[in-house]
Amino acid sequence: MLRVHELQKSFGGFMAVTEANLAVDQGEIIAVIGPNGAGKTTLFNLITGQLKPDKGRITFKGQDIAGLPAYRVCRLGISRSFQIVNIFSRLTVFENVQVAVLAYLKRTLNLLRPVKHLAIRETKDILVNFGLMDKADRTSGSLSYGDQKVLEMAIALGNRPELLILDEPTAGMSAEETAGVIKLIHRMTADLGLTILFCEHDMEMVFSISHRIMVMQMGRTIVEGTPDEVKNNPMVQEAYLGGEEE
Amino acid sequence: MEPASNITVTALCQQVLVGLSRTTILFIVSSGLSLVLGVLRIPNIFHGSLYMIGAFLTYSIATYFGGGSIGFWVALILAPAGVALLSLALERGVFSRLYDREHLMLLLFTFAMALVLGDLVKLIWGSDYRSLAAPMILQGSFLVMGLPFPRYSLFLLIVGPVVAFGLWFLTNKTKIGKISRAAAVDMEMVGAVGINVSWVFASVFVIGCFLAGLGGALVAPTQNISQGMGHNIIIEAFLIVIMGGLGNIWGALLGAAIFGLTDSVGILVWPQYAIVFPYLSVVMVLLFRPKGLLKSVW
Amino acid sequence: MSIMGSMSQKRWVWGLALIIVLPALPLFLSRFYLYLLALIAVTGLLATSLNMVLGFGGMYQFHHTVFYGVGAYAAALMLTKTGLTPWLGFITAPFVSAMFGLVMGLICVRLSKLYFGMLQISLGSLVWAIVFRWYSFTGGDDGIHGVPIPDSISSAAGSYYFTLAVTGASLLIMWLMVNSPFGRTFQAVRDNPQRCEAIGVNVKRHQLVGLIIAAFFGGVAGVLFVVVEKSVFPDMMFWTHSLEILIMCLLGGWYTFLGPMLGAAVMVTLRSLVGIYTEYWTMVLGIILMLLIFFLPQGVLGFLLDKLRPDNSAARPEEV
Repeated sequence: MLRVHELQKSFGGFMAVTEANLAVDQGEIIAVIGPNGAGKTTLFNLITGQLKPDKGRITFKGQDIAGLPAYRVCRLGISRSFQIVNIFSRLTVFENVQVAVLAYLKRTLNLLRPVKHLAIRETKDILVNFGLMDKADRTSGSLSYGDQKVLEMAIALGNRPELLILDEPTAGMSAEETAGVIKLIHRMTADLGLTILFCEHDMEMVFSISHRIMVMQMGRTIVEGTPDEVKNNPMVQEAYLGGEEE
Repeated sequence: MEPASNITVTALCQQVLVGLSRTTILFIVSSGLSLVLGVLRIPNIFHGSLYMIGAFLTYSIATYFGGGSIGFWVALILAPAGVALLSLALERGVFSRLYDREHLMLLLFTFAMALVLGDLVKLIWGSDYRSLAAPMILQGSFLVMGLPFPRYSLFLLIVGPVVAFGLWFLTNKTKIGKISRAAAVDMEMVGAVGINVSWVFASVFVIGCFLAGLGGALVAPTQNISQGMGHNIIIEAFLIVIMGGLGNIWGALLGAAIFGLTDSVGILVWPQYAIVFPYLSVVMVLLFRPKGLLKSVW
Repeated sequence: MSIMGSMSQKRWVWGLALIIVLPALPLFLSRFYLYLLALIAVTGLLATSLNMVLGFGGMYQFHHTVFYGVGAYAAALMLTKTGLTPWLGFITAPFVSAMFGLVMGLICVRLSKLYFGMLQISLGSLVWAIVFRWYSFTGGDDGIHGVPIPDSISSAAGSYYFTLAVTGASLLIMWLMVNSPFGRTFQAVRDNPQRCEAIGVNVKRHQLVGLIIAAFFGGVAGVLFVVVEKSVFPDMMFWTHSLEILIMCLLGGWYTFLGPMLGAAVMVTLRSLVGIYTEYWTMVLGIILMLLIFFLPQGVLGFLLDKLRPDNSAARPEEV
């Protein structure tokens, strides 16, 4: 489904991503792990068009998407959430998700129809799924941090992606909230047939839900494999896991 | 209406010199604006008012000292200093409390200051035109290629590079300059290494405003000193700063030169619409280089 | 606009009162007050059109009065220089403004916030400079006076009714736009352009459309200005005027639909009242603006609405 081949990106003189390779197939849950500054977020930004790669190929369902603007990438069926909360803080929770649905329906340049009656059912479905329905009318900026992170993901589902990219979905969450997110991810893959690519520092979560794991270090893919393979790989243990497990 | 066809080389040279002396004023004012924009990120609209106040102060001080040559030289020092003092009071009293606000609010606040300062000038000096004679030594003209060239313009042509050098020295060779350049790039970093950012900001702000006052003082003998002069110069200065690259002193110099020359040479080509040429040059530059000619610090 | 939701019942009462009272006013008021009301309507319409991009789109529209001036000049020139029916001029002028908006937008929207605003000021100043100098066509710094307005709307009451009707219709259309899918998306662009791109919204295109709409209604306000004043002059598109209109939006509250109209009403009234007592109006304006920025950055109407919704007021970010 998604193929990343020898991707490269530098900022000024700093190589953020030197050589990233990645393959994601339909229906998989793939995790990208690596120490801070390994280039995970940059990799995601390159895939979803927030940044343009210097070199390398990104294909999605056979189509070359490297360097496309973000909104075009999104329309092809790749959606994402952000590491920092990135919502529309002056809109209500309902409106936050509704805008995403409207964008999916290509209705956003419609000037005179009342928006009140548009995309209601689709929006409500998502809100119910994410347990945000009782907060639908609150200004999103007034939600708790945990709820904002959940809304962050809900927005990403507004345009019915096939591939969902989550950048540290549980960062800063309590154990309870994290469990909720894990449950959500399982449900999304089961019910909606979503493919998920995510990065996360919570190793317990990574190893419990991923089908495959890709390990990045200094902008490079160093290992890719099933959780067991990755766990037993000496390079990974040395570079990353070792310190934590001892 | 129709463009003049009999442009002689000497007339052209003369207009270029006039344009370059105008460049000096524009450069001095816009480099101050650029400094404040680059380091403090404040689009300071009352920069133009300070320029006007500089000119009025020069008039008053020079008149107080008898209106002769000595009066002018004293005023040339005291007027910009007075403007700098005023700006220091404003920075400490008001602006230091607003730095965390958004650009738009800061812009509007400086506009509010411009409105108040404009009316204060009207209160103090009235709404009549004032004019001031240049000191004896700078009156009259030289002959340049058979055409008269005002001595005062020549004086400006000397002052321009001196100020430019001074600014270069200040920003590249002194501690405050280095700190402020670092602050322009990454303010938090400078704060993190234990430098008092607030103090740096105040100094930069005062230096920028001093330049506005200096520009006003220097322009005083060349034109009528009037209420509206702040409104025009500030837009010109903004355009120059954008054209040159926000926060870049050399960009301000380049922009000022383009602005000054298109204006003065434009008068030769098509007198009635000369005012349009500088604006047009800005638009052309920004069409092709939207971020300005030289590297912006932003 | 969900902010207005809690007021919706009261709103209809107010609306009804306005519909009855405003048309009846010419029976009671002198020419001066009718003129003042018409001027408030024109200025309010201008401020509301600015707020379409400023408050609802988060764009730094620093030089909005260019479109106002272009609309006014287009109408005045068509009325004085051509033999066509004046009504054609009235209808064409806003489209001329919209065209200017399109051109300016194509040049400016690729830039980030502050650069956008600054480039707009430079382009606007260019337009101003041309109008200011082109004596043979625009009348230069004198402007054009004695524009022949059709008899039916040239009297004080006539121009009042015309202005009122056009302003009302324009406000209604803009209100529909704010509450359309475009309006909602535009507000999302204001809050977070990066996220908008990520959900498949072409941000630049929406900003361009917003700018054209704002320019169009700015042009409508310009036409109304010609009807009320029967003259045009370059100062109406000088940059300081643009900032004054911006202040009206701030005063009323730029996250509210009617805030700019309220701001315009307060400012236009104040200006004519203060003008009686002192020639230092701009100082008063400056002081009001400073107080606003320090104490009421969300504007009068914004402040009142926040008070009505206590659950949200605390969480609203301080910045614009």
